[in-house]
Amino acid sequence: MTLLKAEDISVRDGGTVILEPLSLQLDPGEPLVILGETGSGKSLMAQALMGTLPPELDAKGRIAIGTQVLNAGAPARFRGLWGREIGVLPQEPWLSLDPLMRARDQVAETHALVRGLPRGKARARAGADLAALGLGGSETRYPHELSGGMAQRVAIAAARAGGARIVIADEPTKGLDAARRDDVAALLLTEMGETGGLLVITHDLALARRLGGRAIVLRAGAVVECGATDQVFAAPKAPYTKEFFAADPERWAPRRHAARGGPAVVSAKGLALSRGGRTLFEDVSLEIFQGGVFGVTGPSGCGKSSLGDALLGLIDPARGTVSRRSGNHPNDFQKLYQDPVAAFPRKRTLGQTIADTARLCGARPGEIETLRDRLGLAPGLLARRPGAVSGGELQRLSLLRVLLRNPSFIFADEPTSRLDPITQARVIALLTETTERDGTALLLVSHDAALIRNTADTVLALAAPRPPCRPDAALARRRVASTLH
Amino acid sequence: MSALASRLVQAIMVALLIGAATFAMMRSLPGDAAWRIAAGRYGYDNVDAAAADAVRAELGLGGPALPALLQWLGDLARLDFGTSLVTGRPVAAEIAHQLGASASLALVAVLLSLLIGPPLGILAGLRPGGPLDRGLLVASTGLKAVPQFLMALVLIVALAVQLRWLPAAGHGTARHFILPGLTLALGLAAVNARIARDAMARIAAMPFWRFAQWKGLSERQTLIRHGLRNVSVPLITYLGLQFVTLVEGVIIVESIFGWPGIGHALVHAIFSRDVPMVQGTALVLGLGFVVVNAAIDLAVRHLDPRVAA
Repeated sequence: MTLLKAEDISVRDGGTVILEPLSLQLDPGEPLVILGETGSGKSLMAQALMGTLPPELDAKGRIAIGTQVLNAGAPARFRGLWGREIGVLPQEPWLSLDPLMRARDQVAETHALVRGLPRGKARARAGADLAALGLGGSETRYPHELSGGMAQRVAIAAARAGGARIVIADEPTKGLDAARRDDVAALLLTEMGETGGLLVITHDLALARRLGGRAIVLRAGAVVECGATDQVFAAPKAPYTKEFFAADPERWAPRRHAARGGPAVVSAKGLALSRGGRTLFEDVSLEIFQGGVFGVTGPSGCGKSSLGDALLGLIDPARGTVSRRSGNHPNDFQKLYQDPVAAFPRKRTLGQTIADTARLCGARPGEIETLRDRLGLAPGLLARRPGAVSGGELQRLSLLRVLLRNPSFIFADEPTSRLDPITQARVIALLTETTERDGTALLLVSHDAALIRNTADTVLALAAPRPPCRPDAALARRRVASTLH
Repeated sequence: MSALASRLVQAIMVALLIGAATFAMMRSLPGDAAWRIAAGRYGYDNVDAAAADAVRAELGLGGPALPALLQWLGDLARLDFGTSLVTGRPVAAEIAHQLGASASLALVAVLLSLLIGPPLGILAGLRPGGPLDRGLLVASTGLKAVPQFLMALVLIVALAVQLRWLPAAGHGTARHFILPGLTLALGLAAVNARIARDAMARIAAMPFWRFAQWKGLSERQTLIRHGLRNVSVPLITYLGLQFVTLVEGVIIVESIFGWPGIGHALVHAIFSRDVPMVQGTALVLGLGFVVVNAAIDLAVRHLDPRVAA
């Protein structure tokens, strides 16, 4: 029996069609993956199925869930399905749990309020749900005491406790490293089991391949290709699908290694770093040369970003020395941040912010325009605010801002972890091109080992420190700070 | 535990600073203290140079400042607040008497403000930019901008003089609480409402709010289960800061409504140069600030496990 059948779902923004009519069906025990880059309309599809489209968008089409048939154009009707028929696995499981409520209570309240179980029974069921997911003993913990993976399991238990057989997950692996990504895939498959339905929206090719089932490839709001996931991966038919797959760092052609020239721009000897009394790594020595790409990879929390910060002099090493080439101004050493949205002030136009930097470093007139064209950015973008441009464009604008400084060294901290594969390939290509062309030294940090392997001249792979680190705790502390304001 | 210890140190510092500052200020006030004290004792009409001289001789007012201050600090260490220069009764007894009246008025004011401000703020925060939100912004900015003495007069004129609903001044029955309580509460609620509104709007935009609804909870259930507790943390934290506003307000409002409280007593003590009373009263108010904030620390720790971590 089909769990969900959507017919001719389309989404319009005023006069423009942003998602062309799309039909799909979810069968028990067979995951459905919607693949596509940012802006392909894949999230719109998920929102249309859940009735969470922003009010200014207009959806059409019929959705049959169980015995009910709903009109996609009347999203208010979908509300009754949440928790009962459709469970949503949120993108950021940590932020999706109430910070002031214990794990078991967050699951129990769904049992009690949605399913109507008495309080004691709801608690018992919640405890059993958590134990089944391997969270026995963590029932009374608060979210800040859970790791990201544990929070994700609590979230899925809470999302499904109302009896939902269908799980919709929108980008469940955003920003996760390979090990965590495989955990998420396994969790989703276990939760689906033989009888549940699973719809996953993602640009993560490895996740799609692991989930199997069926796949739909979307581009610019239209279906490019669909079929069994294995077959789509084995023999993509559409040219776009091929391009999309080729953008997977696993399949990148390794970059030609740069010739070493001159003295090292940045070097470290016997470097050890610690955070909160715990050693992240010890005895790391490295040299980064002009025109070269130095890659650092490793699991989350291994200290790869801290290494970059130490090289920039932003944090002090526990032991060892860092030396930066003499004769350089401190501003010649620049950092490209992971989250470009957070790296620009929200309420000013990008042009204003970039003009500030240009003024500060005395850039030649016309330099912004030259860089803008080189980075393939449309002139109109500078008049917008950070929220109104895509992540890929914003990261290129960050790069533009860094390049205005005419840096000798750039530390790119996970510069593409929030971008889809095609955009990622473009941004990385621009970065390496800049390095070679301007003779900049580049420190590229990424959790994606394949990306680093195929991009860097020299690779440093850091291992997870022992005991296994909890970057979560740091995040939780930051959240406390923000809640108190 | 360390938080409480640091509050204790803070309390001692507050006591020393307030004692020294009030002492210095009282000494530097213009006019003849002996005359003022005599006037406080016998009434303005009965004071002459002989009475003032008698007071001066009795209290040793002409003496050097430092020994007098050290004397006061030494007494304080033995928990002796001294005696009032005017009434001759122990300062501790006078304050204990007045503190009850002030504390009950302050409590009524805080409760009233919590009934008015946060509910409106939460409703506004659930629909940011809506008519209620915009209306509330204007109303709370306006209310906050009205000084308390003016607010008190407006309320007296409107509710006591024109409508004759409530007594204009006095103390004793529950009806007497309403006007002074409301005067204080409106100023507090103006800020409370903004804090609750901002907290609610921020929380309603958080992923966990959305996720609670995706779990199948209704809007109301989401608010009760995930909204109120989260809003209460910044609200309670802010309550500690509002204590300052409250103390300022109590001094003015008690004087206007003839409320026999600590603020009223402080004003009178200053007029009649009753230094031990001024020191004692200011000390109690200052220590009250420390105690209230320590209590709020504990409450927030209880509500938000992340603070304790």
